[in-house]
Amino acid sequence: MAAGSVVATVQAAPAAEAVTPALIEAAKKEGKVTWYTSVDLPLAEKVGKAFEAKYPGVTLRVERSGAERNFQRIGQEYASRIYNCDVVNSSDAAHLIIWKREKMLAAYVPEDVARDFPAAHKDPDGMFASWRITLSPIAYNTNLVKAEEAPKSFADLLDPKWVGKIVKAHPGYSGTIMTATQQLSRDLGWTWFEKLAKQKVMQVQSATEPPKKIAQGERAVMADGGEYLVLAMKARGEPVEPVYAAEGTPLVTGPSGIMANAPNPNAARLFFAWSMTAEAQQLNVDAGGLRSAHPAVKEKAGVRKFSDIKTLREEANVVADKADEIKARYVKYFKV
Amino acid sequence: MSLDRAEPRVSVRSDTPPFDITRPALIGVALLLAAMIALPMGWLLVYAFTDRDGYATLANFATLLTDAAFVEPLKTTLTISVSVSVICGLVAAPLGWLVARTDMPLVRTVRTLVMASLVTPPFVGAIAWEMLAAPNSGLLNQFWRALTGAPADEALLNIYSLGGLIFVIACYTFPYVFILVANALDRMPGELEDASSMLGAGTWATARRITIPLALPTLLAGVLVAFLQALNLFGSPAILAIPAGFHTLTTKIWSLFQFPPKPQLAAAAAVPLLVLTIVLLRAQAVVLGRRGYAVLGGKYGAPRLIRLGAWRYPAAALAMIVLAMPLFLPYFALFNTAFSKMSSRLVGPETFTLQNFRFTFGELSATMPALQNTFTLAVAAATLGALLALLIAYTVARKAIPGYRWLSFLATAPLAIPGIVLGVGLFLAYTRPPLTLYGTLWILLIAFVTIELPAAYQQINSAFHAMHPELEEAARMLGATRLRTVRDIVFPLLRSAAIATWCFIFVGVIRELSAAVVLFTSETKVLSVLIFDLKESGDVGAIAVLSLSMVLLTTLVVVAANRFAAGSANRAPGRIGG
Amino acid sequence: MASVELKGLGKRYGDAVALADVDLCIQHGQLVCLLGPSGCGKTTTLRLIAGFIEPTAGEIVVGGKVLSSPGHAVAPEGRNMSMIFQSYALWPHMTVAENVAYGLKIRKMNRETIAEKLKAILSTARLESLADRYPAELSGGQQQRVSLARAMVVEPETLLLDEPLSNLDANLREEMRFEIRRLHDRYRYTTVYVTHDQAEAMTTADLIAVMNGGRIEQVGTPQDIYKHPRSAFVARFIGGSNILTGKALDARRVAVGDSILVTEGRTLRAGETVPISIRQHEIDLLAARPAQSENVLRAVVARCVFLGSSRDYTLMLEDKSELRLTASADHEIDPGQHVWLRLPADRCQALSGGNET
Repeated sequence: MAAGSVVATVQAAPAAEAVTPALIEAAKKEGKVTWYTSVDLPLAEKVGKAFEAKYPGVTLRVERSGAERNFQRIGQEYASRIYNCDVVNSSDAAHLIIWKREKMLAAYVPEDVARDFPAAHKDPDGMFASWRITLSPIAYNTNLVKAEEAPKSFADLLDPKWVGKIVKAHPGYSGTIMTATQQLSRDLGWTWFEKLAKQKVMQVQSATEPPKKIAQGERAVMADGGEYLVLAMKARGEPVEPVYAAEGTPLVTGPSGIMANAPNPNAARLFFAWSMTAEAQQLNVDAGGLRSAHPAVKEKAGVRKFSDIKTLREEANVVADKADEIKARYVKYFKV
Repeated sequence: MSLDRAEPRVSVRSDTPPFDITRPALIGVALLLAAMIALPMGWLLVYAFTDRDGYATLANFATLLTDAAFVEPLKTTLTISVSVSVICGLVAAPLGWLVARTDMPLVRTVRTLVMASLVTPPFVGAIAWEMLAAPNSGLLNQFWRALTGAPADEALLNIYSLGGLIFVIACYTFPYVFILVANALDRMPGELEDASSMLGAGTWATARRITIPLALPTLLAGVLVAFLQALNLFGSPAILAIPAGFHTLTTKIWSLFQFPPKPQLAAAAAVPLLVLTIVLLRAQAVVLGRRGYAVLGGKYGAPRLIRLGAWRYPAAALAMIVLAMPLFLPYFALFNTAFSKMSSRLVGPETFTLQNFRFTFGELSATMPALQNTFTLAVAAATLGALLALLIAYTVARKAIPGYRWLSFLATAPLAIPGIVLGVGLFLAYTRPPLTLYGTLWILLIAFVTIELPAAYQQINSAFHAMHPELEEAARMLGATRLRTVRDIVFPLLRSAAIATWCFIFVGVIRELSAAVVLFTSETKVLSVLIFDLKESGDVGAIAVLSLSMVLLTTLVVVAANRFAAGSANRAPGRIGG
Repeated sequence: MASVELKGLGKRYGDAVALADVDLCIQHGQLVCLLGPSGCGKTTTLRLIAGFIEPTAGEIVVGGKVLSSPGHAVAPEGRNMSMIFQSYALWPHMTVAENVAYGLKIRKMNRETIAEKLKAILSTARLESLADRYPAELSGGQQQRVSLARAMVVEPETLLLDEPLSNLDANLREEMRFEIRRLHDRYRYTTVYVTHDQAEAMTTADLIAVMNGGRIEQVGTPQDIYKHPRSAFVARFIGGSNILTGKALDARRVAVGDSILVTEGRTLRAGETVPISIRQHEIDLLAARPAQSENVLRAVVARCVFLGSSRDYTLMLEDKSELRLTASADHEIDPGQHVWLRLPADRCQALSGGNET
């Protein structure tokens, strides 16, 4: 079924497709869509509810786990010919490159992507597009750290005063952190990680957890984690504040794609198309604190503009080839 | 033999009743069981001794023994296991003695509460203890700082440490030791102590010279059980060890399953766990085999209770303090988190919220499927497991097929297979033809039944030993086939034992995480895995709500099943026996 | 109803022989007791007949059909036998009526027939008033009667009883002995009855097979076995005989110590070692040396116990072997006294084989 379209579209980018009543009908017939994502669970469920409200009759099932774990799970499931996943979103852009290489994705270009998305945020073959953009900044608990004492740069985190006060997520589980680790190790060198490991860092898995740990006050500072959570928590009044480091902040795009063996191909297209609309992207920004590649989306008030932040260069293709090496190196310093 | 054989033989075939299918059925069960255990273990060994291209090699073990990334977890695991077993022995033995042999008040309550702590999944306990004793946000640490005025970055307790992990594991392991010790002391005939008293020994001398030595083998066996539990536990280390920056063997095996998966190394890393477990089980059998059952036989009077006098209430208080660790404090933390906007703050008018319940049951799309999967699996595994245990116990007790000893061995063998190892083995075995079960509930069902079978079998087996074989023979003589006998006589008589076993498996399945975490897919997620996933992203509110619901539902099912069992037992007093 | 024949029946477990070469023919309607001490093979024989175990040698033929032979055994449920167990084996989860009716239900009889037969047997066994009770609510004797009723109601071809009275107290045991015999006389099933109690065997059996060490030592009517034991084992097991050993002088006379005993029973070979049995109450105790010289032994009283209607003496013979006798309670002889014993020739049974001395 969907495999046919893959074969047909290998050469050139497919034409943009509109959401037709026929597609909606077909999606309703399938009745459900399963979405593998690594975005924070409450946000993912919110997105799901919004989609269900827009297209009643199609239920969305969120399968949320760390990007690296999702990646492993999909690999494990596909190896056993288990096709549960319809639409996949990963905070590790390299995953989409690998899946594309393995011919596991189906090409589909929604109108919004074709019309509005910048070239950097869509695959030339129409296999994926950036559903979300976020950063992996430093952040701190404002009750525990005064603004003037807060770290200003990644180098500041090596100060002895932060021993035992830092929480950080793990590139073996989180795509955000995998992406960030590649950029930081390239620009700051692995020695920075080696020294950071000596700061008695509390190691958690998902990039969604460090912001929660600092909000709880379990640790004062996070060395990495999803910016969107920090922003969303700050908006809710939690005592957290992001820091955009002097060296630059790792940039993390999270593309989505449709699986070639999607059990619900029509519902998958419908959800994918909807998730790229300005309406859905605005929800990501307003409710989730994410950034968007959609030019029609307005940035959230009170949040530093994306263009004002110095970001590090993202190299998804390098991550795709070196993920294994990065993890091994990381484990060597952090022991877990 | 030298008699004349001239007399014509008359064939009796035509007169025999219809072909008795019992034997083939039992042989079928035996073969099924053999396949169930041999298949995953076989693949595990194949993988452990091959490289990525499928060539035979010992390189996996060489890596295991030389790479610090494996040697360290092995050492850590042994440290944890030894510490946990020692702590459990030190806590459970006095508590068991207080409950079984003294006039301490609240004895029944203590027993019930210990059982209740057994219903609590250890990983839920670990999460709850995180809420209590995380160095900065932990409620107990905040309380301590408020009390002493200690600075914000000082902590009384740090759960993210080796000590913290040992403590949490011990909290949920000591009930096993306690139950063993208390039961042994319950069964120990009072006459043995009376005899000592008659010879002039005082209460304490009798306790020291008779009671304690008699209970010692059981205590030792219990300590070994604790060691094995600690050795093979996955959930608590996964929750506490990784933030603390170290691995245990089980979390290491699990991490080898993360991308890029290294099943060969995972299989090889599972082998030491397997070997160690088998050795310890042998040791336990030797310990119990020599003296342990000496206190089992005979009909004796109820034991005399030692008067604690002024120490009665302090003893009860001590018991309650011990029980605060696995029960009162963690459940307090879970309730607090369930109703609080932020788990690190106490519920008050400002922080009270029902958002966690709304989110868990209204928004979280994985809740209902996971609940459904879990209860389907728990009911199916409990039913199938109890039935299988019954059939095996029957076959072994009545020597119904040749090779019945092997059957008994097979039914006990999974005891030697840690959950995560079994998970790895099952994954390797059932992700390929002819039986591609991965991705279905079947693979989880097989895993759960296999894991729970040894204990279920042992329970039913002891019930069988209490049932006189003549009860069955009487039915056979009256013309009932073996199968009919099993249906009419054996099953009804073992009903209450079977229900107890059913509950046991049910609770076990709900608690199971280590095999499930390797075997689940998005369609076959169970509650324990969902909680584990929620932990990964730090959604503690939903975890608290799910954990509490899980424990509540489990308790309801167990209570209902026991009502059912008690109802049927009331009919005829002194039912089993001839 | 049918005859039961055991032909060269044997059962071994590995190297251990439980039963060897047993031949026994039980006529239709007969009640045969297998009598012997524990471990003699009697229960093995019964379980072989029941079909719970398979023989390793020989065969069991019932009513002309081979039911058991090595490698082939008709299942217990296919033999149309009934069995009464030592433990009664009443199913505690069924009422008396349910227990008794079970075999009838297995036979797929219709409800009316079952009700009818149930009523009849409960009345025969005097259990009508207990029909709705559970076994745990019955006394031992009542349980025994339920067990009997359950076995009889299916009208088996063969009835097997495994130590049925061993769990009852002495008074009840005597009553039930006659009850079993009464029911047997009424229904005349071919019956095999296993017991270790010789009184039980004597009062109930048509035929007694005394078993020892996995073999049948002797088969005969109770009277036959009692009066003419063929081996020292049988003599000792039945009715408490003394066994003396001596050397045969000719076909009838045996030298025991300094004395000579004239014996009954088989013809002896001069020079062979002969066990001689004599019952405790058949020995005369004399305070003075009698006139005759044959069949008289000299002894010293070692112990004397007053039993009410009699006195039980333990005597030391000249060769220091002991001998017991029962004498009238009228006069007492103190320990240490020298006495003479007269052993009537027609009571001195010469036994075969010197294996049991």
